[in-house]
Amino acid sequence: MTTIRRFCCNDLLRFTNVNLDHLTETFNMSFYMTYLARWPDYFHVAEAPGNRIMGYIMGKVEGQGDSWHGHVTAVTVAPEYRRQQLAKKLMNLLEDISDNIDKAYFVDLFVRASNAPAIKMYEKLGYVIYRRVLRYYSGEEDGLDMRKALSHDVEKKSIIPLKRPVTPDELEYD
Amino acid sequence: MASKFGYAGGIPERKVRPIWDAIDSRQFKNALKHVTTLLAKHANSPYALALKALVLERMGKPEDAFSASLNAKEHLFSNDSLLIDDLTLSTLQIVFQRLDRLDLATECYEHACAKFPNKMELMMGLFNCYVREYSFVKQQQTAIKMYKLAGEEKYLLWAVCSIQLQVLSGNGGDKLLVLAEGLLKKHVASHSLHEPEALMVYVSILEQQAKFGDALEILSGKMGSLLMINVDKLRLQGRLLALACDYTAAADIFHKILESCPDDWECFLHYLGCLLEDGSIWCDEAVNDPVHPPKFVSCKVSHLTDEQFDSRISIASALILKLQTDTSDNSVRCPYLATIEIERRRYLCGKGNDDNFMDVIVQYFCRFGHLACFTSDVEMFFEVFTTEKKTELFGKLMKNNDTLSTSPTKALGLSISLSKIKQQLLLGDMFKSSASDVEVSCAQMFEMYCKNLPLSKGFDPQESMHGEELLSITCNILVQLFWRTKNVGYLVEAVMVLEFGLSIRRYVSQYKILLLHLYCHFGALSVAYEWYKSLDIKNILTESMLHHILPQMLVSPLWSELNGLLKDYLKFMDDHFRESADLTSLAYHHKNYSKIMEFVQFKDRLQRSSQYLVARVETPLLQLKQNANNIEDEEGLLQSMKCGIHFLELSNEIGAKSLTFNEDSESRPWWTPTLEKNYLLGPFQGISYCPREVLTKERVTSLKRDIEKKSLLPRMIYLSIQSASSSIKEHVVNGSATPGITLELKLLLERFAQFLGFSLSEAVEVVKGFSNGERSVVSDSNLIDWLNFTVFLNAWNLSSHELVHPDRNERKPLIWNILDSMLEKYIFEKVRSMERQLCSPWSDIQLLMQLVTEPLAWHGLVIQSCLRSCLPSSKKKKRSGPAHQSSSNLAHAITDSVQQLSLVLEDVMKWLNEWNKRPEDENSEGILSLLRNDGHNDGPGRVFHILETFISSMSNEEVGDRIYHSLKSWSPADVARKMMTGKLKVLMEFSAICESKLKLLQSLKQQIAQV
Repeated sequence: MTTIRRFCCNDLLRFTNVNLDHLTETFNMSFYMTYLARWPDYFHVAEAPGNRIMGYIMGKVEGQGDSWHGHVTAVTVAPEYRRQQLAKKLMNLLEDISDNIDKAYFVDLFVRASNAPAIKMYEKLGYVIYRRVLRYYSGEEDGLDMRKALSHDVEKKSIIPLKRPVTPDELEYD
Repeated sequence: MASKFGYAGGIPERKVRPIWDAIDSRQFKNALKHVTTLLAKHANSPYALALKALVLERMGKPEDAFSASLNAKEHLFSNDSLLIDDLTLSTLQIVFQRLDRLDLATECYEHACAKFPNKMELMMGLFNCYVREYSFVKQQQTAIKMYKLAGEEKYLLWAVCSIQLQVLSGNGGDKLLVLAEGLLKKHVASHSLHEPEALMVYVSILEQQAKFGDALEILSGKMGSLLMINVDKLRLQGRLLALACDYTAAADIFHKILESCPDDWECFLHYLGCLLEDGSIWCDEAVNDPVHPPKFVSCKVSHLTDEQFDSRISIASALILKLQTDTSDNSVRCPYLATIEIERRRYLCGKGNDDNFMDVIVQYFCRFGHLACFTSDVEMFFEVFTTEKKTELFGKLMKNNDTLSTSPTKALGLSISLSKIKQQLLLGDMFKSSASDVEVSCAQMFEMYCKNLPLSKGFDPQESMHGEELLSITCNILVQLFWRTKNVGYLVEAVMVLEFGLSIRRYVSQYKILLLHLYCHFGALSVAYEWYKSLDIKNILTESMLHHILPQMLVSPLWSELNGLLKDYLKFMDDHFRESADLTSLAYHHKNYSKIMEFVQFKDRLQRSSQYLVARVETPLLQLKQNANNIEDEEGLLQSMKCGIHFLELSNEIGAKSLTFNEDSESRPWWTPTLEKNYLLGPFQGISYCPREVLTKERVTSLKRDIEKKSLLPRMIYLSIQSASSSIKEHVVNGSATPGITLELKLLLERFAQFLGFSLSEAVEVVKGFSNGERSVVSDSNLIDWLNFTVFLNAWNLSSHELVHPDRNERKPLIWNILDSMLEKYIFEKVRSMERQLCSPWSDIQLLMQLVTEPLAWHGLVIQSCLRSCLPSSKKKKRSGPAHQSSSNLAHAITDSVQQLSLVLEDVMKWLNEWNKRPEDENSEGILSLLRNDGHNDGPGRVFHILETFISSMSNEEVGDRIYHSLKSWSPADVARKMMTGKLKVLMEFSAICESKLKLLQSLKQQIAQV
């Protein structure tokens, strides 16, 4: 039961049930507002009956040439609404926008190497591990850069896994 | 910073590059060196001076930076031949912004634009300045100039958005909207529009003027294709049609959306509203608070004929049925919930019947009852029924549950849903079942949790476990049992249950919130604070979640923790206020116009936040409390607060402000539904269980009064100190009293008296009555106010003599005498009345702490002030004639007072020490003894008994290694000990405060001896 709409500032005061989750980061205001000001189409929220926030996705589109891509910065669902495929719906929405509106070549995301349930979920959604980023999370834990090719990358070049891990300095984008 | 390079102000790039490099790498000293070298050659270059200012500001020298930037500005203005470039201006702008002088940055750009009227770059800078200053009219004018110059769509939209902001702030209204529409129309005629957001603004301008038809025409025309997400376009069209009351067309649109998004609940409500020609849902949008939208869909009585109504409902039902059959996705709930909503509409129109209505809910239960969100899905429908009918429905659900054969996890989900319905929607059957029946169901909940733990065997510790909600439910029933029996053991049992749950998985935020409130109730505030910290509440979450802990901390002696909370929160808010306009500017530049209004409105909402205003007032009060033992420190602090004048202004303004409340009250436990209410303290009858209270007008009024009253305090403390010292000076050197202070203090006393419900003269009479034991007006809720009032009254009386003419032979002025006895009486009273029970409620101790840290502390300042003026080191020590007599009376008053207050504090210390002396084991054993009944008799202990049995019986194979180890390492004695040490820690902090006050009094005694 999902009304998916653009995220707006007032939702920041209503997403407590989602963000109390210990794996969901509560960023500073300029972070959220920069996303809203620059990529409002990549920041969506799902609402349930009774106007409860179920979860949200935030992301952006960036890159140049054939690395022009959508990026998932955060996707999270409140405990009450888990196991209902909501994350999938939100991810599909972001992929559609990247593909159809912004004509991006792929969508990527970073995930903690230890977060097995999340990696499994992304794999189910068609993401592959493109490369490992050494000590990406606070200089401690490795991150996995996962990618899914979109229709413009006809030959699926963007998702051919790199053979060696990279360091955070080598990343093209933050 | 690469973009910043150029030939700025006549300085070659290679000379400034090292400066920027040093700034970027935070080597400010180095940067300053380079700047000095640069200035040696270019002493009058505004750019070099601006760089100097920038470096100085970054080095933490705001005054020097300000003077350098003013110097730069002066040169910029004075040198007519100079080419003004954006690099100089933007550097200066950064400095002025960091120094909170946006006006000066604006002046620079205004000057530059006047001098070079056609330079787009400069105008852009000026526009940004106006955005930062929220000068909407000037924004508009500048944007129009830019539009005329460049002819770009973007600048026109900037102007239109500036117009919308003016309308939003209540200026201009209709005329301005007509202007905006005209501007857009003209542009569209010649250039059309090219950005989707531009189209959205155009539509919203038309919508604001109720020109729905025009808006629809535009959307269905060529420009409509700008909106690439088709559903978004359809939603907009549907909404406009509904607002235009073209319900048939609107319903068609929503029908289309539902076909592609069958799970869109809001769309279904819009669809149904349109079919039934009921536009309430759109009217509500304007009325409701967007942060606390209603849970229930309002609808009005239908004006349709019976036949029309029936036919529309059957159209809706047919669509829903189609959606149900067409959808293969099992997680799609909307078409099923929709059948309940349709039945509700029937019911509300007197056309449905209870059985049908209940049946559809039962069907929904059979399909989705196992989901965690089931209860919140159907909550709104339960509201329609009477209590009897609710019970009947519950019976039906129970019956159906028995017939459902399903997997263990689904069965568990169904049972949890039923328990939640019973607890939350049937109001816990509060007075219907006997306490022992409730105990049985409580034990069942807990047993269910234990029994189902094996389902989560092997789960990642980060992953939610099955049945987690059962412990919250168990806790809520235990609190209910406490409420009915007033047996505190149930609360201890609730603590045990939640702590147990957290030892198995430490991430369950709901447990932490419940626990922190229980710990607060017992006074183990330091443990509550630890749990709060573990929730990792930061940034915007502080605005919605700080309410869980802040009110309790404000009346606690955990000053450093409180200071941390207030500081972090205010920093977050103030940072946002500072940077918000820059982000709005970002939205302008990225052509995301719809975000502009949103950002401005959001900032405004936060600025009017009630919690923010409370924090702003409480922060200085905390500092004043912390420094009250040293009058010099306190005066220094007051000076930094402009002697309390700022807060006086806040106090004057607050009445006219409309406050916002941004707390997430959903996350609060039922027994403390708002900050002000704690039903664990009673009343134990007469309120309904689970009272989800909405924001009331009374709450707003009382909060405003509280802020208004508290913001008088810094000024009153300042004036009291002054008044006390001038009273002595007046005696000693005739005519040196400061009538201004006395008069102002009197005015503030008048205002303060009003908060107590009296005029000044009446309040004075009440205070005088205290000496005869008349105290009927004083209650726990206004005790601190009365005592604070008396402190300030006494201070005023010392210098005014308007009120009471003390008998020169008396040792103490009358009010002073009354004040000392009141402090003594109430502090003794609180100490004596408090039980030595381990788990007694905390409210009396809170009052005791407030007595010591507020009125007693302020009175201590008055005494210090008097004494300081009496001391022989003072220049005015020559005493003569009648003044001497009076001054000597004051000296006696001080001596008496110090003596009396010392005795009072010693008594408090004695009481505190008794607490501290009790052996730790005795304390924790005392707590555990409340739970030991081996589960056989009524009363607390049954759940605890199950818990202990469960721990000893569980095996590694059943629950897996991780859970098994958590079970085995969990110790109830540790929890009891934690509870006690938490409480003792708070008491020890209080003890340290009392001790420091005693030390102060002792040092005053010594000083008196020297007089």
